[in-house]
Amino acid sequence: MHVDLGAYLSYLTRRQEVVASNIANADTPGYKTHDVGMPGDFSTAFAQFTALPEETPGLVSRNDGNNVSIDRESRLLAENDIRFNLATQLLRGEIRTYKMAIEEGRDS
Amino acid sequence: MSLFSAISVSASGMEAQRVRAELIAGNLANADTTRTPDGGPYRRRDAVFTTAPVEGSFADNLAAAGVRVASISVDASDPERRYLPGHPDADKDGYVAFPKIHPPEEMVDLMGASRGYEANVAAIATVKDMIGRALDLFK
Repeated sequence: MHVDLGAYLSYLTRRQEVVASNIANADTPGYKTHDVGMPGDFSTAFAQFTALPEETPGLVSRNDGNNVSIDRESRLLAENDIRFNLATQLLRGEIRTYKMAIEEGRDS
Repeated sequence: MSLFSAISVSASGMEAQRVRAELIAGNLANADTTRTPDGGPYRRRDAVFTTAPVEGSFADNLAAAGVRVASISVDASDPERRYLPGHPDADKDGYVAFPKIHPPEEMVDLMGASRGYEANVAAIATVKDMIGRALDLFK
């Protein structure tokens, strides 16, 4: 099965954007934590991940109505980074294969 | 590639926290200021944050956004009165109006601003790494 790694990268990019936004708004009164859910299937090719971020349920709000947990966000930041690393490594492998085919199997 | 807009979002967070830290520094510096151009003692200032879309991003959606300083709130409560009859700003009863600023509170606030700034810097560093790795794909 061919998994569209580009779509996965798109998703991770989107998620990182949302996490950055949560961190930036960690002190904004009334701001609610947002997140984008992972699609169940990445094998269908779509160039850009388009799901909208939704409010994350189950987080405790502070007095100012803000519910950003900086620990949760830094975990997600690191997690996304590692996933992105993995996906780019896999993609590099794929690209290397194509390169080899183009260069008629000669090791470059 | 919208990783760049993630950087813009974090940069907006850095800017907002910096403004907040500047206001706190101003509050601490003026903790004993009894005379201002507007008359009366200095009044405590605080930044009010609000979400704001970042330039050139989130065209399809405004739910994920940066932050900006919406306004600077000025403490309107009565100033603290201290009995200092010899003070040039003392009223006829010998009381001087001092700003209602508590340094420990300001210091805690300053720590919050500093930590918030750090968190945004960490986010930028991570996203920068990700962009670097995406560029490495071409190597």
